[in-house]
Amino acid sequence: MKNEKGPELLDVRALTAKVAGVPILKGIDLPVRAGEIHAIMGPNGSGKSTFAKVLAGHPAYEVTGGTVRFQGHDLLTMEPEDRARAGIFLGFQYPVEIPGVSNSAFLRLAYNTVQGARGKDELDPLEFDDFIREKMKLLDIDPAFLDRSVNEGFSGGEKKRNEILQLAVLEPKLAILDETDSGLDIDALRVVAGGVNSMLKPDNAFVLVTHYQRLLNYIIPDYVHVMEGGRIIKTGGKELALELESRGYDWVVDEYRAGEQEKGYVGASAA
Amino acid sequence: MTTAVHPYVDALLTGTRDLPTSPHGWLNERRGLALERANALSVPTTRDEEWRFTDLTQLTRLQLRAPGAPAEIAPEAVLPYIVPEAGSRIVFVDGVFVPQLSSTASAVSGVRVAPLATALKTDAGRLEPHLARLAGFEQNVFVALNTAHLRDGAVVVISKGQICEKPVHILHIATQAGTAAYPRCVVIAEAGAECTVVEEYQAMSEDAYLTNAVTEIAVAARARVRHIKLQCENARAFHIASCAVVVAKDASYTSHTVSLGARLSRYDLSVALNGEGAFAQMDGLALISGRQLADTHTLIDHTQPNGRSAQLHKTIVGGAAHAVFNGKIFVRPGAQLTDSSQQSRNLLLSDKATVDTKPQLEIFADDVKCAHGATVGQLDAEQLFYLRSRGLTETVARNLLTYAFGASVIERIPVRSIVERLERAVMAQTGAAA
Amino acid sequence: MSSVLEQLVNKPYEHGFRTDIETESAPKGLSEDTIRLISSKKNEPEWLLEFRLKAYRHWLTMEEPHWPNVKYPKIDFQDIIYYSAPKPKKKKSMDEVDPELLRTFEKLGVPMNERAALAGVAVDVIFDSVSVATTYKEKLAKVGIIFCSISEAVRDHPDLVRKYLGSVVPPGDNYYAALNSAVFTDGSFVFIPKGVKCPMELSTYFRINTENSGQFERTLIVAEEDASVSYLEGCTAPKFDTNQLHAAVVELVALDRADIKYSTVQNWYAGDENGLGGIYNFVTKRGLCKGVSSKISWTQVETGSAITWKYPSCILLGDNSIGEFYSVALTNHHQQADTGTKMVHLGKNTRSTIISKGISAGQSNNSYRGLVKIGAKAAGARNYSQCDSMLIGSKSGANTFPYIQVNNPTATVEHEATTSKIGEDQLFYFRQRGIGTEEAVSMIINGFCKEVFQQLPMEFAVEATKLLGLKLEGSVG
Repeated sequence: MKNEKGPELLDVRALTAKVAGVPILKGIDLPVRAGEIHAIMGPNGSGKSTFAKVLAGHPAYEVTGGTVRFQGHDLLTMEPEDRARAGIFLGFQYPVEIPGVSNSAFLRLAYNTVQGARGKDELDPLEFDDFIREKMKLLDIDPAFLDRSVNEGFSGGEKKRNEILQLAVLEPKLAILDETDSGLDIDALRVVAGGVNSMLKPDNAFVLVTHYQRLLNYIIPDYVHVMEGGRIIKTGGKELALELESRGYDWVVDEYRAGEQEKGYVGASAA
Repeated sequence: MTTAVHPYVDALLTGTRDLPTSPHGWLNERRGLALERANALSVPTTRDEEWRFTDLTQLTRLQLRAPGAPAEIAPEAVLPYIVPEAGSRIVFVDGVFVPQLSSTASAVSGVRVAPLATALKTDAGRLEPHLARLAGFEQNVFVALNTAHLRDGAVVVISKGQICEKPVHILHIATQAGTAAYPRCVVIAEAGAECTVVEEYQAMSEDAYLTNAVTEIAVAARARVRHIKLQCENARAFHIASCAVVVAKDASYTSHTVSLGARLSRYDLSVALNGEGAFAQMDGLALISGRQLADTHTLIDHTQPNGRSAQLHKTIVGGAAHAVFNGKIFVRPGAQLTDSSQQSRNLLLSDKATVDTKPQLEIFADDVKCAHGATVGQLDAEQLFYLRSRGLTETVARNLLTYAFGASVIERIPVRSIVERLERAVMAQTGAAA
Repeated sequence: MSSVLEQLVNKPYEHGFRTDIETESAPKGLSEDTIRLISSKKNEPEWLLEFRLKAYRHWLTMEEPHWPNVKYPKIDFQDIIYYSAPKPKKKKSMDEVDPELLRTFEKLGVPMNERAALAGVAVDVIFDSVSVATTYKEKLAKVGIIFCSISEAVRDHPDLVRKYLGSVVPPGDNYYAALNSAVFTDGSFVFIPKGVKCPMELSTYFRINTENSGQFERTLIVAEEDASVSYLEGCTAPKFDTNQLHAAVVELVALDRADIKYSTVQNWYAGDENGLGGIYNFVTKRGLCKGVSSKISWTQVETGSAITWKYPSCILLGDNSIGEFYSVALTNHHQQADTGTKMVHLGKNTRSTIISKGISAGQSNNSYRGLVKIGAKAAGARNYSQCDSMLIGSKSGANTFPYIQVNNPTATVEHEATTSKIGEDQLFYFRQRGIGTEEAVSMIINGFCKEVFQQLPMEFAVEATKLLGLKLEGSVG
C-alpha cells in the first residue's frame, strides 16, 4: 500500500507539548501521506497518547513549539470541532460515558455536522437510521447499541467497537486510533482490523497508536515509528514491529542513546 | 463546682469529679473539657434533627448509678463468647478491665493490646494525638459523658509495618443493672500496619443499664484495619456508642457492625478519609424485634482526592420494632475522583414495624461518582412461593429468605467463628422476629 | 472552567426590564390594619377577613424555619409592600387593559390575546399582586369550568372558595403559608365540575414589577369527580438590587378519579453573578388526592430566584390515588435551591413517583429534600424515587436529603440517586466528533432532564430546554 506519491495529509514538525506544566512531547516530526498506515509504538509513558490528543486539540495539552499542517492548513490554531470537521478523527483509548445522550442522536448529530462541513447533504432521522444500520451490520455491531446512552455501561470491547462505528460513519481523512486494540478479545480485534482495512482508501490515512504488535498482525503498516521520551527515535517498515515484539524496546532505546551520545560527543568536540 | 444544665446529665456525672488525677496533663485537660461540655449540653430530644426518630425519654426515666466493683465471673461463663481465632483478648466487666479473663500477651512484637493504664505507660506518645481527640465531645453529650468518665479502656497499637494476623478481641460484659458504664476502645494502626479488631458487647444481667461507649480508630498511611462490632446487649439495655475513625493516605478501614440487642441502641460511626486514595467499607446489619429500636447514624467524610467508600446497611425489623438509618456522605471541595456508594436496605416483617431511613449526600466537588439508594419492602412474594412450591412450609420459607437477606452482611465478616455464631443467632432470632 | 463554558452559563437575564405603570400601593409594613386595608380594597366578605386575621395572629407566634439548606439575611417583614395594584382599575375585557401592560406580557412571550386563541391556552395574568386579565373565560364557562382570579371567585363563587380555601394548606401550616393566608392579594381559581375534561391548558403568568413589593398569590384548583385539568404557571420579575419575597400558596383538590397536572416554569430574577438581588421564592404547594383513584402530578422547572424553597407535595388519601413529582432545578452563580417533595401515603395501594434532577453550576448550592411517608394503613403503597445531580464546575454543591418513613410492611419504597458532571473530557469527545460546545451541553442537559421534560406540555418543554441552555451559557467546562 506504500504510496510515496500520495498527497501529503499531515506534516508534523518539531512538535513539543506539555501537560500540567510537564513537557511530554519533545520534538516530533511525522509526515503522513494519503493512502498510508503508520503505527506508532513505544513503551508506556513514551508520549504516544499525548501525541494523539494533541493532534485532536485536547484542551489539557499545551503546544509549546513546532508546527502541524493538515492538508496545508495550520492545524494548531483550529478548535477541536473544526479539526473533526476538517477530517481528523481520534479513536479514544478510554471513550467517556455520556449518560442520557442516546448513541443514535449523538451519531446523527456528529454525522450531519461533519457532512455539513463538507458541503454534503444531511440525513433526516429515518434516512440516517437506514444508513447507520447498514454500517453496523458491516461491523457486526448489535443494533441495540443505538438506543443506549453514549458508551454508558459499555464493556471495554463495546466502547472500542463504538469508536470504530463512529469512524466508519464519519469517514475521516486522517484517523488516529489510540490503543484501540487494548482490552479487545481476538474476535473484536478482527472486527476492528477488518473495519480499518476496508476503510483505507487512496485519499485517507491511518495512524495507529499501540503498545503491542498484535494489531499489526491484522493491519499491515507502511511505517512503524518507535516513540520514547517524547520523541520518535526510530522509524522502519512493518518488519520493525516484529523485531520489537521479539526483542522488546530496550535495544532501540540503547541504540538511540548511543547515537545521541555520539552526536553529543561530536557536538562537544566541535565547541 | 458547677453543675450540669440538665439534671439527668448531672446525675450521670456523679463520680467524674473524684477520678484520680492522671500523671498525663493532656488527659486531665481533656477530661476537664469534656466535663465542661457535659455540663453545658442537654440530653437530645426528637426536636433535634439528629435524634428525630429516637426518643430518649425512657432512658432519662432510668435512675442510673456508677457501677460498683464488678462481680467475679468464672472463666467458663465467658466461654460462649470466645473467639478461637483471636490472638489476644481483653475483657472489661462493667467498664473495668479484668485481667483474669483477658489474655493480652502477644506473640507478635509490635502488637500491643493493653488496658489504658498500662498503655499510657508504654504508648502515651502514640495515644496523645488520638485518645479523647478523634471522637469529638463538643456537641455530643454522650461522648462528653464518656470522656468525663475516662479512666479505663482497651488500647490496641500496631507498630509500623506490623501485620497482626490474628484478630484482637475486645469483650465488654455488663453485669450490673441500673448502672451506666463507659467503655472506651482506641485502635492505632501505624503506617503499613494491619489488624482485625472485634469489639463485642454482651450482658450477664436481664435488667436495664446503659452502655455509653466510645471507640477511636486511627489508620495511618497504607495501614489496614478491619473492625467488627457486635452489639448483643440484653433486651432492656440502652446502648449508645460513637466510633470515630480517621483514615490516612492509601489506608483502608473496613467495618462490620451487627446490632442484635438492646431495647434502644444508637451507633454513630463517622469515618474521615483524610488522605488521598483512602478507602472505607462499612457494612451494617440490625436485626430487631419486639419493641426494640436500633438507630445507626454514619458519616463518611471525603476530604481528599481519589477516596473510595462503599456502604451497605441492612435492617430486618419485626414486631413493633423501629429501625433508623441516617447515612451521610460528604464530598468536600477538592475531593475529586471520589467514588462513593451507599445502600440502605430494609426489610419489614410485621404490621407494626417501622423504618426511617435517610441516605444523604452532600457533594462539593464535580468530578466524583456518588450513588446511593434505599429500599424498604417485605419478602418477595415470588421467592416465597417458589420455596413453598418446593415443599417448604411458609414459616421455614420466610425464615430462610429473611436470613438470606441478612447473610450478605454476615458472610463478609472476616472471622469465621463469628460468622458461624451470628448465623446461629440470626436463625434463632428470625424465627422470633417474624 | 473554559471560557466557552463560562459564556454559556452567564447569559444575562432576559426578563429584567421594569414596566412603568402607575400602581396603587399600600404603605410598607404589616399589621392588622394592612390586612383590613387589603380586605376592604377587595370588598371581601367578613369570613375572609377573619381567615386572614386568624392566620396573621398565628403567624405572629411562629418562627421562621431554619432547617432548609439555604442562607440569607433576616427578612424585614415591615419593609415589604403587601399590596400593589396596577392603576387604573381592572378592565373588563382584554381591549381595555393598559396597553403598556399588554406590551410587557408580549415581551415576556405570554400569549394573551389573539395569539392565546391560536395557541389554545387560557391565561390568567397576575401582575404584582393583582389579576389583570383572564382570557377564554366565557368559552370555559360553557362547560361549567370556572377559571378566574381568586378575588373574582370570592365575589362570584364564595361558597366554593370558602369550602376549599385552606383545606389543603391550613392557615397555620408553616411560617410562609401563614403569612400568605394573612396577606394574599390575588391568584387563580380553577374549578372543574364533575366529569368535565378541561378542553385546553389553563395558564397563569406571574410577574413581580414593583420594587420592595412582595408577591403573595394564592391558587386554588378543585377537580370534582372524574374531572381533569392541566395547569401551567410561569413566573418572571424585573431586576432589582434588593431581594423580593414571593410567598405563594397553591392548593389542589382532586376528588374521585380526578386528575390534576400542574406545571411550573419558574424564572424569577435570580440576582446578578455576585449574588446581589433576586427573588426569595418561598412557596407552599400541596395537592390533596382526596378521592379514590385520583391523581396529582407536579412538574417543575426551577431556574430562577436567588433562593428557592419549595416542596410541591401530595397527600394520597384516597385509595389507589397517585402522586407524581417531576423536577428540574438549575442553580448558577450564588443561587440556592432547597426543593423537593413530600409524598404522604395514607390510602391503600397509593403510588408515587419522584424524579428530581438538580443541576448546580458556579458557586451555587442545590439541595433535594424529600419525604416519602407510608402510613400504617397504606397497605400496598409503592414509591419510586430517583434523584440525580449534575455538577458543573468544582465550586458548586449538590445535596440530597431523602427522608423515608415506612410504617407498613406491605409497602415498597425505592430510592436511587446518582451524580454526574459535564466535564472537559465529555465536551472534548463531542468536539472531536465535530459537535460544538453549546450543542454538546444542550444535548447532555436534555438527556439528563429527559424524564422531566417529557412531562411538560410541548411548548413548555421547548421553552424549558431553551431556558436551561440560556442559564448555563458559559458555565460548563
